Amino acid sequence: MNETITADAIASSHPRTAEAAAEGEASRQASAIEMQGLHKRFGRATVALDGVDLTIEAGEFFTLLGPSGCGKTTLLRILAGLEEADDGRLAIGGRDITEVPPHRRSVNTVFQSYALFPHLSVRDNLAFGLKMRGMAAAARHAKVDEIADFIKLGDLVDRRVDQLSGGQRQRIALARALVCEPDVLLLDEPLSALDAGLRSQLQVELLRVQKRLGMTFVFVTHDQDEAMVMSDRIAVLNGGVIQQVGPPREVYEHPANAFVARFMGHDNLYPVTGRQGSRLATALGELTTAEAGEGELLLIRPETLDLLPGEVAGDNHLPAVVVERLYRGSHAEYRLEVGDTTLQATLNNRGRHLPEVGDRVTITVAPDDLITLSE
Amino acid sequence: MRKRTLQRGLTAFWWFTLAFLYLPLAVVVLFSFNAANSAASFTGVSLRWYHQLMGNEEILSAFANSLVLAITSSVMALGIGCLIGYGMYRHRHRKLGWLIVLIYLPIVLPDIVFGISEMAFFVQIHRLTGLLQPGLGTMIIAHVTFQIPFVALIVYSRFVGLDPTLFEAAKDLYASPLKRVVHFMLPTIKPALISAFFLSFTLSVDDFVISFFTAGPESATLPIYIWGAIKKGVSPEINAIATLMIGAVAIAAIMSLLFSRRRPA
Repeated sequence: MNETITADAIASSHPRTAEAAAEGEASRQASAIEMQGLHKRFGRATVALDGVDLTIEAGEFFTLLGPSGCGKTTLLRILAGLEEADDGRLAIGGRDITEVPPHRRSVNTVFQSYALFPHLSVRDNLAFGLKMRGMAAAARHAKVDEIADFIKLGDLVDRRVDQLSGGQRQRIALARALVCEPDVLLLDEPLSALDAGLRSQLQVELLRVQKRLGMTFVFVTHDQDEAMVMSDRIAVLNGGVIQQVGPPREVYEHPANAFVARFMGHDNLYPVTGRQGSRLATALGELTTAEAGEGELLLIRPETLDLLPGEVAGDNHLPAVVVERLYRGSHAEYRLEVGDTTLQATLNNRGRHLPEVGDRVTITVAPDDLITLSE
Repeated sequence: MRKRTLQRGLTAFWWFTLAFLYLPLAVVVLFSFNAANSAASFTGVSLRWYHQLMGNEEILSAFANSLVLAITSSVMALGIGCLIGYGMYRHRHRKLGWLIVLIYLPIVLPDIVFGISEMAFFVQIHRLTGLLQPGLGTMIIAHVTFQIPFVALIVYSRFVGLDPTLFEAAKDLYASPLKRVVHFMLPTIKPALISAFFLSFTLSVDDFVISFFTAGPESATLPIYIWGAIKKGVSPEINAIATLMIGAVAIAAIMSLLFSRRRPA
């Protein structure tokens, strides 16, 4: 029995209609990814991955987040098979694919540069993967029409690649990968070359596509806002090591360490100089926390603070002066001085009084919102 | 005012240069249509010399030799040069600058040195093994040798101009190594290959020196025939051959230019 014939027979006995795709009836089993002890070095000095253990659930929108050089792209390339790990195992859908070359993996990538073939029309670009898999021309044509409809490409299909704008190329690149119906879709900073407006529009679109298809997406970005908007879970990487894995709220509100906190945009970090039970001594003054952590850094999220006019005495009340106010409509961002120490605060604009620069205020914060971290 | 004068001067210089380049060719073309057997006076338009060409066995055989030599050597150089060009691209990050200099060397080497060394080499091989008797075979080898660098450099520069992630995209989209060559690399560099072919073709048709040293008694090409014929004096027949060659080379050169300029579309 010929292996390819068997595979074709199975594929054709489970036809996936346009309606099924459009309704998002996930007839196809989404696949989980397991990584164990992945190591990767470039040359002698550069360690790109230093022992990555990670499980990505089937159907998850999973984001690899970190600064440039943190290893996120290397990890993605290992998933794609474009890079080989020096050590460790990788399995998708329970099948070990550590040694499988990229063209035999049911994994497709949306590249940062889009990598559309300049010698082919948009239609032929979309059909490339299907053609390489040996799908007949008529079936390819139908699949391409189906995906073009799904991604709402409209008349772009008949254009030439060099006639497309950045946003259009991005969507073609997405469609070209999706049409292959891979077990896992990899996205390497696919939105980073676009301007802000288009970018947030495509973020929403991408998220909808993923939810409707129920496909496993692995997304790489250095933008923490983008990561929080898109992801079911985020893995924050630094120096080739995973710092934290969790849902966006957990990573943002309870960062595992100072690196994650800073990377998620937190600036209010203060060394704990003394500790007595739940009382912490810091440069801001004495504060009470509800947690029993041992961390040497206190994290105060700007949006957990409240500002009272004038000087009010009380526990977790800090006298401060407004140094700067950035009015943003829906909210205002404050820079405050408590003694010699500065502090950021964000106030919701709900018809309340917004203190002005130079005002003397009192900062209040609930003990529940104070957590401590380690470096 | 002064600026306009300068502009006019430069324009005039441009026309002068063009005239200097093309008037001699125009003279040859004109006299190839001369009714009279004279290089001094033009008496009327006639295709007489072209008719005479068609009846001259020696010229026809030289023409056939030139064509066989140009096409065969260009096709072979295309195959080998294409592989070298790709190899240069694939390993461009390793410090192989010296290899590229090595590829350039035959381009800058004087033809006569190249021709003499090829001849000496073939003679030695022939003496030792009995192979490579001077003739069309040795000429093809010699021509392929000087065509390869041009092909390799054209192919290399096309590859360098590509987004490197295209190679990864092809892998990612299920293309096996063979399919990557057939469905991605060859179609992508096709304009470069066509351009390289026509360039090789012109180089081969143009060449006299290297052909002269590597030819055998039966393998005279058009330039070699012309060289032999003008020792007996320039006949209008030569003008006709020259005109045909100008036409062929111009067409090949224009094709090469068109395809090298074409964007990878």
